[in-house]
Amino acid sequence: MKSFLEQVRAGEDGVLVMGNHPRIIQSMLDFDYLSGKNAPSVRALITGNRKALKCFWGKKEILIPCYANVSLVPEERAKRVRWMLNVQSGRRAFDSTVSFFEAFPEAFGGTIFAENVPEKHATELIARYGATKLLSGPASVGILVPRALKLGAIGGVDAVQIEKSHLTLEGSIAVVSTSGGMTNELIHGVAASGKGVSFALAIGGDRFPVASLSEVLAVIENDPHSKALAYFGELGGVDEYEIVELLKSKKFTKPVIAYIAGIIDEAFDEHMQFGHAKALVARQDESARAKREALRAAGAIAPDTFPEFLAAFRKTPGGDIVAPMGIADDLKSRRESILSTREIINVDTAPEYVKNGALVSQTGSFSRNILSALLARKPKSEVTVAFADAVFSLLIDHGGAVSGAVNTMVTARAGKDMVSSLASGLLTIGPRFGGAINESARTWNAGFASGVTASAFVEQETKAGRLILGIGHKKYRIGLLDPRVAALSQFATLLKNHPRYDFARQVEEVTTAKSGSLILNVDGIIASLFTDILSECEGFTDAELKALIDAEFFNALFIIPRTVGFISHFLEQKENDEGLFRLPEDLLFTRKPEK
Amino acid sequence: MPRVKLTEYQAKRILLGDAYSGVSFSSGETPTVSGDGPFVVKVDQGIKKRMKQGLLALNVAGTDCVSATNAWEGKGFANFIVEPMLPHDASEERYVSFERVRDGIRVLYAREGGIEIEEHPDKVETFLIRGAGDVSVVSTKTGIPHTFIESVLSAFEKEYFAFLEINPLVIQNGEIHLLDAAVLVDSSAQFFANGWSASDIVKQAKKHPREAAVEALAETTPASLKLNVINPDGSLYFLLSGGGGSIVIADEAELLGMGKEIANYGEYSGGPTREETYLYAKEVFALMLASSAPKKALVIAGGVANFTDVKTTFGGIIDALTEYADALRAGNVRVYVRRGGPNETEGLARMGTFLEKERLLGSVYGSDAVITSAVDDAITYLKS
Repeated sequence: MKSFLEQVRAGEDGVLVMGNHPRIIQSMLDFDYLSGKNAPSVRALITGNRKALKCFWGKKEILIPCYANVSLVPEERAKRVRWMLNVQSGRRAFDSTVSFFEAFPEAFGGTIFAENVPEKHATELIARYGATKLLSGPASVGILVPRALKLGAIGGVDAVQIEKSHLTLEGSIAVVSTSGGMTNELIHGVAASGKGVSFALAIGGDRFPVASLSEVLAVIENDPHSKALAYFGELGGVDEYEIVELLKSKKFTKPVIAYIAGIIDEAFDEHMQFGHAKALVARQDESARAKREALRAAGAIAPDTFPEFLAAFRKTPGGDIVAPMGIADDLKSRRESILSTREIINVDTAPEYVKNGALVSQTGSFSRNILSALLARKPKSEVTVAFADAVFSLLIDHGGAVSGAVNTMVTARAGKDMVSSLASGLLTIGPRFGGAINESARTWNAGFASGVTASAFVEQETKAGRLILGIGHKKYRIGLLDPRVAALSQFATLLKNHPRYDFARQVEEVTTAKSGSLILNVDGIIASLFTDILSECEGFTDAELKALIDAEFFNALFIIPRTVGFISHFLEQKENDEGLFRLPEDLLFTRKPEK
Repeated sequence: MPRVKLTEYQAKRILLGDAYSGVSFSSGETPTVSGDGPFVVKVDQGIKKRMKQGLLALNVAGTDCVSATNAWEGKGFANFIVEPMLPHDASEERYVSFERVRDGIRVLYAREGGIEIEEHPDKVETFLIRGAGDVSVVSTKTGIPHTFIESVLSAFEKEYFAFLEINPLVIQNGEIHLLDAAVLVDSSAQFFANGWSASDIVKQAKKHPREAAVEALAETTPASLKLNVINPDGSLYFLLSGGGGSIVIADEAELLGMGKEIANYGEYSGGPTREETYLYAKEVFALMLASSAPKKALVIAGGVANFTDVKTTFGGIIDALTEYADALRAGNVRVYVRRGGPNETEGLARMGTFLEKERLLGSVYGSDAVITSAVDDAITYLKS
């Protein structure tokens, strides 16, 4: 029916995790690493509140990217995704599974870990994906193809378990179980018998597993690596009669060794509900004894005791496995870091500045180096460097009257040190002073992307009672233009396209029709042009631009140069040393308390 | 999660809406009924075969509804329902049930009402509803009005019904009467359903206090914690992990002829924390101390776990054992262990050292031994 297993063994192992379960994910990476793969099978996680999950790849730490929803996964991460691991709660399992297959219609299948998935959701998943995908669960610990794919907790989460159970070596016995814990017990038992597993799948103990027993058996029948089936079932339900039918009709031709648990139910006066939802005898043919006998009658080996069941593995046709041991021990000593960073600049070497008594001309400028450090990539275009340089130079200061400069000077006059005075000035930066560039970038970027007209946009913002950051100035107006804005706007002529800048200018046209002071201000022009430059000259994608905005990057364009300005004001105050600043009383409007 | 029973009152409210004239009442309450009756008064706690058990009173006058329940209160029942009695002929009674199955809603129908369908398979017709066309077929072949089947399907769709049995069902002049309706809803869907909530699930008659305690604990964790008290004076006590592994171990006890000695069955799984395991284990130990058996064995066992941490969960069990060690030793208790999984080596070593120090040690096995090793040893001890 499905040649999934052969494709997986050929390397189609890409997994997208819906939700986050660090221990299971780490075990998948350990499996991949111990199997000798070049890269982890886990491509990305879909989970909120974080951008990356730190894991070990071997002994080295790596970051696996996380995205808030499937549509945000970048193409190069998405293109080889073949499997879903769903570790979300029972409530969310259905919606997240549907969103995965809508985004990845070509995916082979997946596994749903959660218990408590409503029956209706499970039957709906069967109707949608039962015929075309290999989807195990709900309540499944996963799917395992030794050496090729470990999808879920199946086989254990310890590196030592992975090695001990021969998970990285291809074997000959297919393992299928309703119970997650017993899936692992069987995998372990197969390894202990000297054999290995060819394929394992935990069906899950829920009433309506998406991948039914018949479907899983069809996969095994068509798998040349699987020479026999080891099956664990329980009392309750009639699924095992599917095996009986397949054996009788010769649709399943490989030896079946089965253990059906639940003889204990006969010791009680009434049928008992056991651990799994399905584990309750409702009719006589659902008892462990009845199912065991039916399997035997159809030719399966179905022992009465568990030790006899394990002993039967030895007699299956496939060959033995000799496993090298001790490789996983190496992973035991690893220790997790508690903070992640990157090397901002190369701290081990320094350029040659002076040679033979003469200056050596430098390839990097201060602005260029600042951009490299902030963006974690070297600028490709001179336009970017020149624009940053212009912004840094223009924004060093804007006179002593602005609030941040006043605070710096007042603090300096109170006798404080440089860092305190500077901090006092920097802490003034916010939405009304200097800190509007970032929000302005968000406005232009979102406005342009949404496709609304500038007038509709202004209307919508006004109605919502929001200010448009990047528009308006206290001093400059139509007829008295901000010289910095005029100078910077020339950069637009160097770009092929400047949609965010255009949008900003269109908005300005609408707002200045209302009031001459509602012009595009310096924050607004920097925000619009720098986003356009990063997009066109540096190849930033929309998602990357959005990530920069979310991290408040664009405010750095103000904070960096203005730090220089504040320090200059501080030095000036120290030089003049006029004593403590005090506001004259007549400049205060003081309201008297009511009598 | 398993299917759970809805009260008959709430089931009929959902199916019939305001057209339903039954009234629900609890011990100590007087139901407000309209008209003089006669009425039917019933226990509404998910009990099967109420007629046979005498938990149903026919032909009750409006003023006698409360007194009709007196005898039932004596038996521990507390929730009742009163409905107007429908005069009808026995030949008008039919049987119908609807159940959610893998590929649709399965309908079982019998022309004869009040029967046990398991005992009369020849009288039962089976249909499968997968779409609108199937509804017409069922309606035509059974005579059940189309609109009623639609309202049942809507309850399966919106209210997450899993099973509905109406036995008997009476149709008079095209109008439908549900003399008795039993509904199982999917407890996993409580969050999504609007027509019922936890308070509409029938309260099972008296639970063992330890079972109730574990049930309350289980509601506060995503891990799975279950406990059934089977024989309060049994000698074989289980602290098992895993839905499947726990049955294998219990099976072994039955195979060795000790099924009747099993005091409790239950399991913890799905990665409970140390604290949760501690609280769970304490309930089992309290059971052991209450047992009159002269010699007792505790089996702490399970399969090779996928992700439940052996060190963490055994930490919780040791915390609980520490509190009970003296009493357990005085009660001739021996402890037998078999477990595998993440951090197996450390977990087993700690457990072994602890049991030896407390002179409770029977045996300790890891994943290299067969899953049934510990229970085998425990039974040898009990038989010795």
